[in-house]
Amino acid sequence: MKRRNFLQTAAAGTAASLPFFLNGMPLQTMAKSALFSNVNPDNDKVLVLIQLIGGNDGLNTIIPLDQYVGLAQVRGNIMIPEQNVLSLTDTVGVHPGLSVLRSLYEEGKAGVVQAVGYPNQNRSHFRSMDIWNSGSGAEETWSTGWLGRYLDSYFDGYPEGYPNEERPHPFAITMGGNVSETCQGWAANYSLTVFDPFSLNPLLEGEGGALPDTPYGDELAFLRHSIAQTNAYGEVITEAANLGANTVVYPETSRLARQLKNVALLISGGIQTKVFVVSMGGFDTHANQVLEDGPLGGDHAQLLKAVSQAMTSFQLDLANLGLEDRVLSMTFSEFGRRIRSNASFGTDHGTAAPLMLFGACVNPQVLGENPEIDGQIGNSEGIPMQYDFRDVYGSILLDWFEVEESQVRNLLYDDFTYLPILNNCESVVSTEEQDVPGLNVETFPNPCQAGFTLSFQCQRAHVRITLFDAVGAVVRQLAARTLPPGRHRMEVDMSKQPAGAYFVRLQIGQQIQTKRVVKLG
Amino acid sequence: MDRNTALAGRRGRQQHSTINTFSAVTTDLEPYAGVWEQAQAAHLLRRTTFGPNKATLQLALDQGLDATILQLFTDLPLPEPPRYYDTEEGDDPNVLPEESWINMPLPEEGNVLPNRSRSLQAWTMGLLLNEEISIREQLCLFWHNHFAINNSVNDPRFWYRYITTIRGQAWGNFRQLCKDITIDPCMLRFLNGNQNEAGSPNENYARELLELYTVGKGPFAGPGDYTTFTEQDVEAMARVLTGWTDTAYQTTDPEEELTAVFQPEFHDVLPKQLSARFGGAVIADFGEEEYAHLIDVIFAQDEVARHICRKLYRWFVYYKIDEMTEAQVILPLAQMLIDNDYEIAPVLQVLLRSNHFYSILNQGPMIKHPIQFVLGPIRQCGVAFPEEWQEQYVLWQQLHELTDRMDMAYYDIPEVAGWKAYYQQPLFYRNWINSISLQQRSGYVRNLVVNGYTPGEITLRMDPLAFIATLEDPLEPNVMIAEIATLLLPQPLETSQLTALKEILIPGLPDFEWTLEYGNYLGSPDDETIRQAVESKLQDLFVGLFNMAEFHLS
Repeated sequence: MKRRNFLQTAAAGTAASLPFFLNGMPLQTMAKSALFSNVNPDNDKVLVLIQLIGGNDGLNTIIPLDQYVGLAQVRGNIMIPEQNVLSLTDTVGVHPGLSVLRSLYEEGKAGVVQAVGYPNQNRSHFRSMDIWNSGSGAEETWSTGWLGRYLDSYFDGYPEGYPNEERPHPFAITMGGNVSETCQGWAANYSLTVFDPFSLNPLLEGEGGALPDTPYGDELAFLRHSIAQTNAYGEVITEAANLGANTVVYPETSRLARQLKNVALLISGGIQTKVFVVSMGGFDTHANQVLEDGPLGGDHAQLLKAVSQAMTSFQLDLANLGLEDRVLSMTFSEFGRRIRSNASFGTDHGTAAPLMLFGACVNPQVLGENPEIDGQIGNSEGIPMQYDFRDVYGSILLDWFEVEESQVRNLLYDDFTYLPILNNCESVVSTEEQDVPGLNVETFPNPCQAGFTLSFQCQRAHVRITLFDAVGAVVRQLAARTLPPGRHRMEVDMSKQPAGAYFVRLQIGQQIQTKRVVKLG
Repeated sequence: MDRNTALAGRRGRQQHSTINTFSAVTTDLEPYAGVWEQAQAAHLLRRTTFGPNKATLQLALDQGLDATILQLFTDLPLPEPPRYYDTEEGDDPNVLPEESWINMPLPEEGNVLPNRSRSLQAWTMGLLLNEEISIREQLCLFWHNHFAINNSVNDPRFWYRYITTIRGQAWGNFRQLCKDITIDPCMLRFLNGNQNEAGSPNENYARELLELYTVGKGPFAGPGDYTTFTEQDVEAMARVLTGWTDTAYQTTDPEEELTAVFQPEFHDVLPKQLSARFGGAVIADFGEEEYAHLIDVIFAQDEVARHICRKLYRWFVYYKIDEMTEAQVILPLAQMLIDNDYEIAPVLQVLLRSNHFYSILNQGPMIKHPIQFVLGPIRQCGVAFPEEWQEQYVLWQQLHELTDRMDMAYYDIPEVAGWKAYYQQPLFYRNWINSISLQQRSGYVRNLVVNGYTPGEITLRMDPLAFIATLEDPLEPNVMIAEIATLLLPQPLETSQLTALKEILIPGLPDFEWTLEYGNYLGSPDDETIRQAVESKLQDLFVGLFNMAEFHLS
């Protein structure tokens, strides 16, 4: 192999990555050893993010079998007939198009986290996707991505000096399209885009010149660096593609399948990339989500079938290649959709939605409760959030990438709560089942007027209780403290709240339960 | 500093946390009174057209800044409608070749939609390629990005009507354009306005009307409250807009007219209560006029003007809007827009005539989008098309396909918010650049210069000999290369870069060898051997130049 064309660094001095200073101290120096000493950037785990663009209708994807009476009342025109639903557990089913989830679940290689979202749900595609990509709260705007920050914590100064002898491989790859905002670091995006790993031609780099301290110089620096980096990483990718091989035939027509095929190919060829981002659009099903004359057809069924076929091939390929233990795949989407369908046989933007995980190291379980659905559901109501998406991210960082918990809190948020979504594999933090007694949450009266009494039981634990309104906005925090073991009661004043539906979310240790409460007018 | 402070910085909390800061732009919206030379004239034409050539540049230089601005905004007749040029999917029995299909129903049998789409795509690229000194096509693309649609509305007559509405108002009244688009049949279908009915509102359009088209989304201010509007407004405005639908979608009936109709029976007649963000206004039942009344209510918010001025700035100047720019450029422009009753032309003219626009800090930092990158060198180097109109359509359409592969297809914008380069923080224009797009761009210029861009039987290829024949002194390599670089790049190259380009032209040879070789060609232009030798050297030069990082900038 010829000597790789590593980037010339310091002399060219890309303006895009000049050191930045906080309180007069260069952050790179600071961050280096002091903050991030006990972490492991060199495990061989790979994360594949599957972005379902548009807001997947979670309620027609992961279907609460014990809520069919309510479902018939609020989304009768798009509901999947019960006899067609594939069951995962006694009370949880899956859309018949998404058969891969059941088969992998039965093999112990897939799991579901119910109702993932964030407080104060934003129903704009763009803003909500920004929140999911950055891992910020709804009230903050962060310009870095959650994986970008994770990578920044090891690879200071990136992109300056990368790739190099020690780190010749791209840290992240987006298959086609634009670089993924999940991988946006402080100074540059960590993801390289690859459409066809076999057709990467070297680019002419041209004669560089000085970079003026102007916007022009800044953009020029970015371009020069992108060209040089494309060449340097391009060699690595082509080499991996040539060394790798797929073992199964993927569906030809599906964009998602093509992307996953190349992911498997590159990993099998020895690429050391930690994050791959694949995506599929079309989930914004305001209309014609199902066919007028048949809820088993329509756009959503086609989309889920495409996901199912692609994942079936991918997971089988990984198993054949002996890579099952190294690769974890996770779906995400900007939000779920409304509980009530509209007259266009579709659904509008909603709140939380289930998230799916695939891989041999996934804890094969449905984490969380089914939503409660009845005919009283209002037009604006989405599925209330049970799990904060940052807890899912953080648990993956912790278990999969071996990031320390304190570090996870720094990268995401201080209230991080660990979720046992991974198991089986050696690198995984122990998540032995503890016999936790139920919370036995009760609300009385419900419906209520001036207020209601909330009661629950717990072991000695930190308890966080939050009241949300029907669109997922936080009404107020009811409690956040450590309680002694036993049964607890709490009076919740609703006198100042307008009539409508509300949700009480109790988070006690790792247990979470959401209860719907209606205030009468 | 504790670790949380350090990490808070690393999370990039601030809105404009990107990278580094520049010395502030201290100029403002006062009319530019400095020199009017090639740099300034080319800057104006690069940003307002799809690339100046030597002739348009000379004209702009001769007539001066004010006259050029006047010419950019001179009313033009609407172009001839697109013609039917290919029958790949079979003939269209309703349309003769050379005729337009824009008012023709679909045939009962056979699928002519792809043919009609290609015709419209080709025609559009032709307009961009052939436009002279006018800002109209640039503004059409701006509004197309603002009121984005995609080809899920699968009837090119709808796209034609939509873009014609935009073209007619390209620098007209923004409020009126917004009204027209709100009930445009293509938009009604695209954002499900045609399914928005009393009792079962579809709020897709109402949300984008606020979030993207008018007030924009402000910071989170409380549950369901985005400062500029609230969830309550989305729901109420969706109800205001109930009752509209389109007609004649994919129709085969020659009697059926493509238009938007108001159906009172599907309109929600109850009062609609807006939030305090709109002064708690209540929209009463105005029937067919209610939508226009709503747009008036929205446009009473000054934030509409600020939002659109930021978007105009990002389209015409630069993506970064720091506090200084916000205070000295955006806010005064927005006030002018309000004072001018939302007429776009006077406000945009102030920007394009301003000190700020000609500040050296704003010259050249725009990364070209794919349409600019593809069409630019064709326009700037005078790449010739065949005479035959059908062959022109074939090539234009293939250029459209190329921009589509580069993720920028006219009539098929991937996101409702428009192309990411104009809104997505922190990358903005940099979204256009990645390892895939760099490869595509590099491949395209090589084809255009060397192999010929040959999508079918017809080839489009730059004629470098014809191009350099238009230059001041093509016999002297240093002068020639400097002039080429000045014409095609936004900022001067350094001496070392010019020397490197000369090394591509005449590697390891003294300057006079070029003079000799090119002189030989001029002496015997019909000698194929001499011509090819000189041409291939020039091809190397242009490939080298078009591959420079600088060439991606405008």
